[in-house]
Amino acid sequence: MVQSPAIHRRRTLRVLGTAVTLLDQIKEQAQRDLGFDLEFEVLDFVLCQGKAALSPQAYDIYDQCFHNLDIVWFWGALQPIDTERITAWDKVSELTKRGGISRYAWRGHGDAPVKKLYVQPGDSLGSEQGRFISMLPTVHNLDSFGYDARVFGYSERHRESWAWLLDPRAKGRVALVDEPAIGIFDAALAAEAIGEVAFADIGNMTVSEIDALMVLLEDRRQKGFFRTMWRTALEAGELVRKNHVDVQSMWSPAYGDLSGEVPHFLEAVPIEGYRAWHGGMSLRHGLSGDTLDMAYEYMNWWLSGWPGAVMARQGYYMSVLDPVKASLGPEEWAYWYGGNEAQADLVGPNGQTVVKLGARRSGGAYWDRANRIAVWNTVMDEHNYAARSWDRFVNRVRAGQA
Amino acid sequence: MNKLPRNKVAMQKRYELISEVLRNNIASGRLPTGFVLLEGPIADLVQSSRAPVQMALRILEDEKLISRFDGRGFVVGVPGPQTVLIRGDVTALDLQISGEMDEALQSRGTWQLVYDQVEEAIASSLIFGEFRIIETELGEHLGVSRTVVRDVLSRLSERGLIRKNQSSHWIAGPLTAQSVRERFAIRSILEPAALKLAAPHIDYTEVGRLARKTESPVDEAEDFEVALMETCIAKARNVELISVIRSIQLPLNAANRALTALGLPRDRFAADEYRSLFGLIERRLIDPAADYLENHLKLMAQKSLARLKIVAVVSEAEHQVPYLTKVR
Repeated sequence: MVQSPAIHRRRTLRVLGTAVTLLDQIKEQAQRDLGFDLEFEVLDFVLCQGKAALSPQAYDIYDQCFHNLDIVWFWGALQPIDTERITAWDKVSELTKRGGISRYAWRGHGDAPVKKLYVQPGDSLGSEQGRFISMLPTVHNLDSFGYDARVFGYSERHRESWAWLLDPRAKGRVALVDEPAIGIFDAALAAEAIGEVAFADIGNMTVSEIDALMVLLEDRRQKGFFRTMWRTALEAGELVRKNHVDVQSMWSPAYGDLSGEVPHFLEAVPIEGYRAWHGGMSLRHGLSGDTLDMAYEYMNWWLSGWPGAVMARQGYYMSVLDPVKASLGPEEWAYWYGGNEAQADLVGPNGQTVVKLGARRSGGAYWDRANRIAVWNTVMDEHNYAARSWDRFVNRVRAGQA
Repeated sequence: MNKLPRNKVAMQKRYELISEVLRNNIASGRLPTGFVLLEGPIADLVQSSRAPVQMALRILEDEKLISRFDGRGFVVGVPGPQTVLIRGDVTALDLQISGEMDEALQSRGTWQLVYDQVEEAIASSLIFGEFRIIETELGEHLGVSRTVVRDVLSRLSERGLIRKNQSSHWIAGPLTAQSVRERFAIRSILEPAALKLAAPHIDYTEVGRLARKTESPVDEAEDFEVALMETCIAKARNVELISVIRSIQLPLNAANRALTALGLPRDRFAADEYRSLFGLIERRLIDPAADYLENHLKLMAQKSLARLKIVAVVSEAEHQVPYLTKVR
């Protein structure tokens, strides 16, 4: 009797996240390296955090941002990560472990990832170091806005200000990112820069400050300032490509996508500083056994260098520098992290040229940029109130558009 | 004796009565395996607001008599792949509700029932924003006269849950982080003080029983909080003080219940804190107990702020009653 060959069902790890990290190239390489299948579910930030909180059975790993741990951790949807199972934990940078790239670096307002990193007694999250963490720090960036230099001028680089998001020169051609823990800070930095709203602590606004900000935004909306709102870097790039905007919230991969097509659309280095964010991966509550082991393998793989090199090519920094440096070409490291002039054309994650020979990264070296954090993406105490006000504003902008 | 003798069933909590009714009908098979239980129709059947129904369903879930499934509500039994879901009108099932039970469910009187229902609905809506209360809709929804509506609203206003705006409309909410923080700050001043005033009037045997009370299937932290108020703090012989404390607590407790009903995890640590607190009080260590209470309230404030943020991902649409209109 001929025995049929044993059928090995391939094991699968399910990852819920956003387009920031869940790229096809990442998935294919990880499957090759790890020997199990990956299922990526890619959603925008808002839908993603909602699903992570409300349907924790739908994923094994949650790949998102530190700031929304405030939502997902406190739903009880996640379990602590044991740093003793993270091979490269010692190499993870001080930016996440301590809150700044050096002791003296300005921390920025709002919730630096360190404030949510360590699991404290009583299951709360805080900066007191310990063995268990809520989220394994991975990619991060210092965001600003993009603008059309034909409108704002080419010689204004030293005066780039968040105020431009509410500048009358761009009236009707402004877009903001629609995520209440992100876009609201772009708007708030702009409102403060034009001097119309002052925040005692922009990272933890009061109800009356939120009201004042929303009144200002509504006023500008009625005057027709806003073209639209966007939710993914791809959408933002399209708005520029189609010449719909003069100034807008903008994320790094969008510049790469546009490389060469719109040389007049520049990434600002705001005098007020950057809006920073930090991504990472968390484990679903109740994950155990073989799947939990796979999840640790997958997280360790993320810190092995190669994935960080892919992230660098779309402008994102990694929490471990040395392995990434070893995985990038020297000219890539010099451009993306060193802030030096590109010594060659550089390609993005999908192999297309995203940086032309001679270009220089806006804002310079990683260490310079990471020293200029104005505010972190944050889920403020009044987030519930702010998010609902923000949604009403977004809906009115969208309705006006139709 | 100042207490009227009451029948045992009448003294049971509403959610206990409802879970008892459902349990009996599951046992007798009148509620068949696979039947989908929804809060709304059950609330109508037992003439209750939704909160006790939610609580009752959670108890039955803990008892594994009903289960969550990939849809709204619960399903009777533990569904397997072969289970056929039965979606039907629960009122058409002719469920058995014993006379004693029925009486207990009815016993609180129409006015009180209406008031409790409206208070719960409004208090738990505060986390979703600011609402206007439409008086005519309220009357129609509850099938009561304008006079009853007016009485209910003025009572709610006295308790600080609603207010009139410039155009004389009744407005409720929103419950902001600031208001949560301020209310807890007031509580941590008043409640330890009230506890000290109450000391001579506390039934210490009862407190000792609470200190040794073990896990209950329902949210025990919530039960303990009520017990602390009723057996200790509210024994202070100062009616005004206790009434202030009650109205400060009201929206916080309602928000907490609403959050738990949304499926937020129970606080595993708070129950232990209450047990320690009852332990101190039982040993007449009132000063340390007051300090401990103050500290406990500070921790509760932080936890409540954390819980409040989470509500941002929940749409208010599915939690609305027809007489509340969103203002902002």
